[in-house]
This record gives sequence, structure tokens and C-alpha cells, in this order.
Amino acid sequence: MSTSAPVRARMTPRQSLALVWRTLRSMRTALILLFLLAMASVVGSLIPQIPNSPERAASYQVEHPFWGGFFRRAGFFDVFGSWWFALIATLLFVSLVACLLPRTRAHLRTIRQPPVQARELDAFPQYAQRRVSAQPDMAIALSQKLLRRKLFRVQRAPGALAAEKGIAREFGSLLFHWAFLLILVGAVYGKGTGFTGRTAIVEGEAWTDARANYDGQIRTGRFFSGDFSGTQVGLLDFADSYRRTGQPMDFVSRIELADAQGNPLGHTDVRVNHPAEVNGVRIFQYGYGWAPVITIRDGDRVLFDGPVIFTQDPAPEGVGQLALPWRGVVKLPSLDPQVGLEVILWPDFYAYLRFQATGQPVPMTEAHDPFITIQAYRGSLTSPSLSGLETATMTTWEDAFVGQGQTKELGEDGNGGMLTVSFPELRQYSVFQVSRDRGVWIVLVAAILILLGLMPALYTSRRKVWVRAKPDGDATLLRVGGLALQRKEQFEEEFAKLVDELARVCGEPVAVEPERAGAR
Amino acid sequence: MTAMTTLQWARLSDRLFDAAVLTYLVAMVGYAIYLGFRTNAAWAAARAVTVVGLGMHLTSIVARTVAAGRVPWGNMWEFSSLLAFLVVLGYLVIVEGVYKVRTLGAFPLIFSAVTMGVARIFGFYVAPGPLVPALNSYWLKIHVLAAIVGSSLYALGGGVLTILYLVKAAAERREAAALGSRPVPPVMGASQDLADPPHFVAGADDPVGETTARRRRGVLPPSAVLDRMAYRTIAVGFPIWTFAVIAGAVWAQEAWGRYWGWDPKETWAFITWVIYAGYLHARATSGWKGTRAAVVALVGFVSLLVTYYAVNLFIVSLHGYAK
Ligand code: HEM
Repeated sequence: MSTSAPVRARMTPRQSLALVWRTLRSMRTALILLFLLAMASVVGSLIPQIPNSPERAASYQVEHPFWGGFFRRAGFFDVFGSWWFALIATLLFVSLVACLLPRTRAHLRTIRQPPVQARELDAFPQYAQRRVSAQPDMAIALSQKLLRRKLFRVQRAPGALAAEKGIAREFGSLLFHWAFLLILVGAVYGKGTGFTGRTAIVEGEAWTDARANYDGQIRTGRFFSGDFSGTQVGLLDFADSYRRTGQPMDFVSRIELADAQGNPLGHTDVRVNHPAEVNGVRIFQYGYGWAPVITIRDGDRVLFDGPVIFTQDPAPEGVGQLALPWRGVVKLPSLDPQVGLEVILWPDFYAYLRFQATGQPVPMTEAHDPFITIQAYRGSLTSPSLSGLETATMTTWEDAFVGQGQTKELGEDGNGGMLTVSFPELRQYSVFQVSRDRGVWIVLVAAILILLGLMPALYTSRRKVWVRAKPDGDATLLRVGGLALQRKEQFEEEFAKLVDELARVCGEPVAVEPERAGAR
Repeated sequence: MTAMTTLQWARLSDRLFDAAVLTYLVAMVGYAIYLGFRTNAAWAAARAVTVVGLGMHLTSIVARTVAAGRVPWGNMWEFSSLLAFLVVLGYLVIVEGVYKVRTLGAFPLIFSAVTMGVARIFGFYVAPGPLVPALNSYWLKIHVLAAIVGSSLYALGGGVLTILYLVKAAAERREAAALGSRPVPPVMGASQDLADPPHFVAGADDPVGETTARRRRGVLPPSAVLDRMAYRTIAVGFPIWTFAVIAGAVWAQEAWGRYWGWDPKETWAFITWVIYAGYLHARATSGWKGTRAAVVALVGFVSLLVTYYAVNLFIVSLHGYAK
């Protein structure tokens, strides 16, 4: 598969096209493209990638303005989504197809074509001759039987045999290369028509698979048609268990499923490494947290009532994440002036006390007499997001401490009424990753084919054997030639054994003629 | 006799780990003496010490399994230990067993001793304990085991044997230049070079005479033999590594809902895979055989080290085995 063709001063378009095609077809091109792909991947693994860690990619640009700007323009913050990565991959796959087509055609021809008789046996790297007692025709028939038993494909001609073995090597290699192509097909199809999103569901609540319900936490493929399943997911309860060290042991979400029409589809457990699958949508345990139920009344009027999803700041170095308190926001837009509450939850009162006493953060894996502290602000609520509170435009107002089961007064609403805060219940929520990828099966099948193809491609070899028999006085002269396309040193031994066996089945050697036996 | 406690098993495992490193170092000296002076007794002793070291090492791994109550490949400490073990075992099986080459023992032993020493010195050690839920998966166990086995074969074939090949090939080129003739290209499968490896000394009934033995002092096997051993070792490693990557993707699909996400660990496993695919191609491409292909294999080995050490220790990745 050589690329170099004599390039003349001028080429017709047809010739240039042929040259491009020939270049693409060469293994050297594929080799270079493979290394380019590897180099691009190195860049992608060293520079923070936006899809994997957007915060780090952003902070990198702040810290290194010059290189950050350069990297951004070059697409280095999203290598695997960049045009040049797609270009390398495309060229590689075009190159792969270009070299596979002729190889496959040639291989099909090889399969269909019976082994070809040779002209000169003694010109082959392996050659031996023996005198045997069977008549020539008989010797050929017996040799044919032996070779067939050894899984050679055998073609017979008068007084001659052509046999070959090990087509599996090329077959496996082709299977492997085509399957590699199939992986790309499966990946593009699956990712292109699928989506991945995240959602949090509080214990006792239900959620429906529809775009709006992902709250913006969703990425859809290029060819995604918006066909969400409408599946309903209810979280019955979430359980987490830990060892004494605070190391997590298990996370389980018990969920209840129903189809888009509300017909129940049964219960199932979702745990780490054990997703649930329904209507082609897979639901993974991704995260969890606390969601205190908070009720806010203005006199007797209920302004807010329900579980609020609380999150944590990333833990500083050396502090366990579970030792940190949880934060949440409640907004009361109907009041005038509007009111926003910053709420902090300590799920474990005793851990809090110990922390206050010793200064040592204590992990809070279970709820024990939880409490919330509230800082209220008055002004106008500007942040559009559910969980964000922009306090710069507001003034600090009242604060409060509320234990679970308690109700506390917060302050006057401005019209003489009294705002009260209750914390009746502490629930947990589960974060699920919800995704659909219809190409997974194609990719899996392709991966299996890759493995199946690799074995014969790497461990077998193609070899050919020719046998001739002709009368030699009162006996028969059996001449055997052999050629291995790979693993030549192993074939030498195999060939010598084969000749011995051939001689044995054709009647013990009458007299060995050593003159040209063995390898040359 | 009372049953041993978890702590006792853990301590036994640690002691045997250190003992195995020391034993390997002793065996290494023996092999070096054999390479340098072709003293058969040195080889016999080195081999026996290596086997003892392997026995201690295996016991250490088993004790660790008992102490942790799970498979012994859950963190980098255990990964290092198993990798070092498999490289020594692979050397005995492939190099001494299949290829009957005895002169190279010191080199895989250096690799293993350094791997274990790095694990000790850089504090990979963690007390045996259960796995966190994300790592407690059937597929993950298969994936990591395949990755370690594949790594050990790459380390032996793409690392140790390839470096030796490059050293020897350079020496042969110098020799040939001194003789004023062109070197015989180390073509794979050329029938003249392996039928009877010329340095092969067949056991105690050493057919190599006194003078020849002296002339062979300090001499590595011919580059063609080294090349073939390196290639075969990598060729066994490649499908195992391929399987490891696939099993990892299956696990990622189960755990994270995507089989591939270009996470740094995944990316580097892929890079290593691509480089060794490149190596297999290079060997089949005219003009790339021999030294150039070997350099590719060596680059693959460096990539393996990055996959294994750098990604765990320096690059933020979802695959946090390090701690
Ligand atoms: C122009 C494109 C390509 C050509 C002409 C080509 C050709 C070949 C040939 C002839 C072999 C057999 C080598 C032998 O007999 O030892 C081979 C093997 C291999 N190829 Fe490719 N290849 C191409 C692209 C690729 C690509 C894109 C990959 C994947 C990354 C790949 C991966 C492999 C692997 C892993 C092997 C070793 C297993 C085997 O022998 O089948 N190849 N290739």
C-alpha cells in the first residue's frame, strides 16, 4: 500500500482525485491521522474542557488571559466538539473506508476463489519431498483427506493439491476495522437523536419527562426531535447509608413509574451503578440532598408551603463535604416590598454543637433535631432563577432560628400582619440523570465485533501448502511446498510436522530423500 | 489457634509487600550477575529467589483481599502491587517460559521494584477497606482487572523489552558499521533468526563452550529476538486493553449514563489504545518496521504511565482511585 506515485508537473482533475484517494487509502495516512487524533486528545485531557468542567475552563481563562484567549479561539476548551477534531475523525474514517473497500473486495474474491495450483513447488520457502508407498492418485486422495481434517481449504487437480488455511486473519482484521466504523455510526446516531438531562425530585413528589421540567439542565443531540417520553417518576423515598468513618455505603432511590397517560408501570430501586430503564429512557442515581419543608404565613394566609431543594458549596480542602451546612432560598414576590430569605440548614444539631465546641467540622450523615437559620432581605427580587437571590439590591431585614416542628415569627409584613416561618418536616431529594441514547446497542455490538475480530487478526496466520505426487520407480514421490504469509518461523515447524504426517498417511517413507528437505 | 483479625491480615500484607520488594532486589542482583558473567548458578539462584518473591507477593495480595473483604484492586496502592506482581509473573511465563531467554530478569524486576517503591514512597498506601458505592460494580471490577493485566503486558512488552530492543539494535548497528557491512534488518518472522536463539543456553547441560560463554558476557539477546518478544507481548496485551476500555465504557454507561465522556482517564486510555494500534500498523508498514515501530511502542508505554499515574495524581478526573 504505497502512496508514492510519480507526480508530473500537471495533473488532470481526475488524476489529482485519484492521487488524493490513493493517499487516503494508504496505511501511512491512517497512521498519521491516528497520531493526530491522539495528540488532539492529549490537548483535551490537559486543558479543562467546557463540557466536563465549565467552572475550571472559565477560571483558567481568567487566570491566563493570553493563553486563555488563544485556547478559546483554537477550540481547545472543547477539543472533542471542535471542528478540527471532527475533521481529523472524518478524514480518518474516510481513509478507513477507502482502504477497507478494496481490501474487502479482495478478501471476498479470496474466499470465493479456490486455492490456486502452483507451478514450481521447490521455489517456495518451505519444500520437502518423500517417497511413499501409495499410488499417486491414492497419495493425493489421502493427502487431501488429511489436509481437510486440518481445516485447510483444498483444491484438487490431477496429481496435485493446492491448500490454504488462515483466511480468518484477514476476515478478523476486516471485521475489526468495519466494526470500528460502526462505533462511530452508533455514537453519532445515539448522541444525535438522544439527550441527557438532570433533575431533582423531592421525596413524595413526582416529575414528568418533558423539556420544561429539566429546568435548563439538559443537552440534546443535533437531530433530537423533541420526543420526550412523558414518563412520570415519583420518588417514594431516598435512603443513604454510611460507615462510621463517613464513607458512603449505599444510595437508593425507591421510585414509582407511570407512563404518559398515568398508567402505573410499577416500582423500582435506582442506586449507584443500577439505573432504571423505562420507555427507552434511563434514570441514574446522580446525587442527593436535603429539602426542608418550609411554610410561610402572613397571618392566616399561606404565602409559601413546600419542600425547598438545598445545596452545598464545594468543601474547602481537607473538610468533608457532609460537614458543611446546606443552603436554600425562599422568595416571597407577592409582598410589598418583596422579601427574599436566605436559609441555612444544619441537618444534625449535635454535629453543629460539636463543631461549635471544637472547631472541628463533623460530617452530618443523618438528621438529628435539624434546624434552619434564616436571613431575610427586603427590596425587589431581581434574580430570575429559582435558587438565586441577588441581595445587592435589597436591604437586610430580620433573621430567625427555627428547629424542626417549630414556628417562629419573622417580622411585620408592612401592613400590620405578622410573617411566621414553620419548619414542619425535613425530607431528602434525589438528583437523577435522565438520558436516552438509542445508539448504545449499536456501539456495544460493534465493540464485541472489535474484540471478536482482533483475536484471529492477531493470533492466526495465513499459510498455503501444495502437494504433488508422481510415480517414482515402484513407489511414489510426494513433493510438498509451503508458504506462510505471517509467522514464518512457526510455520517452519508446522510444515515439517505436516510433511511427516503426509508421508505417514501415504504409507511409511520408502526411502527418505534428504537432498532438498527442510527450510531454505 | 484463633482466627486472624482484619488488622493482622492487613499488617501481614504490608510486611510481605516490603519483603517482596527486597527479594526482587536480591533476585535482580543475581540476574545481573548472570547477564554479566553467564554464571549458571547465579541464574538458578536468581530464578529461585524471584519465585520466592512472587510467592510472598501473592500472599501479600491474598492477605489484602482477606483484610478488605473484596477484590484486591480497589485503589492505587493495590493497583501498583498487582501490576508489579504481574510484570514479574509475565516475565517468567513469557520471556523465560516461552522464549527460553534467561538474561533479562534484572530489567522487569527493576520495573516492579520501582513501581512498588513509588507506591510506598509517594504514599499511595491506604488501609484496606470497602469500596465506595460508585466503585462497587461488577463491571468496574472486570474493567480494572483487565486494565491491570493489559498494563502489565504493555509495561513488559512496550516498556522493558522495547527499551532493551532499542539498546541492542543500536549496538548491532554500531557493530555492523564497524564491520563495514549493512545491518540485517530485524524482519519479523524471518526464519533464520529464531529457530535457535543463539544466546539460549539450554539449562545445566550447557552446550555453549567455555570460550563462547566468555564472549557472551554482558551481551543481550539479538535484537530480532527482543523485537519478537516485545511484539508478541504487546499483541497479547492489545485485545486485553481493548476489552478493558470496553468494560470501562459499559461501567460508565451503568454508573453515569454515558459510555464515553472524554474524561481525562478515558481520554488517556484511548490515547494509549490508539498508540498501540499505531504500533501494530507501523509493524505492517514498510519503512516503519524495527526501530521506528519500537519508538511508537515506547511512546505507548509513556502514555500508559500517564494514564496510570499522572491522571490519578495530577489531573481532575471522575476516576478517583488515588484517595
Ligand atoms: C487507511 C486506513 C487503514 C488501513 C489501510 C489499515 C490497514 C491495516 C492492516 C493491513 C492491518 C493488518 C496488519 C497485520 O497484518 O499485522 C491492520 C491492523 C490493525 N488496524 Fe488498521 N488500517 C487502517 C485504519 C485503522 C484504524 C483507523 C484503526 C483504529 C484506530 C485501525 C486499527 C487497527 C488495529 C488495532 C490493527 C491490529 C489488528 C489487526 O491486525 O487487525 N486501523 N490495519
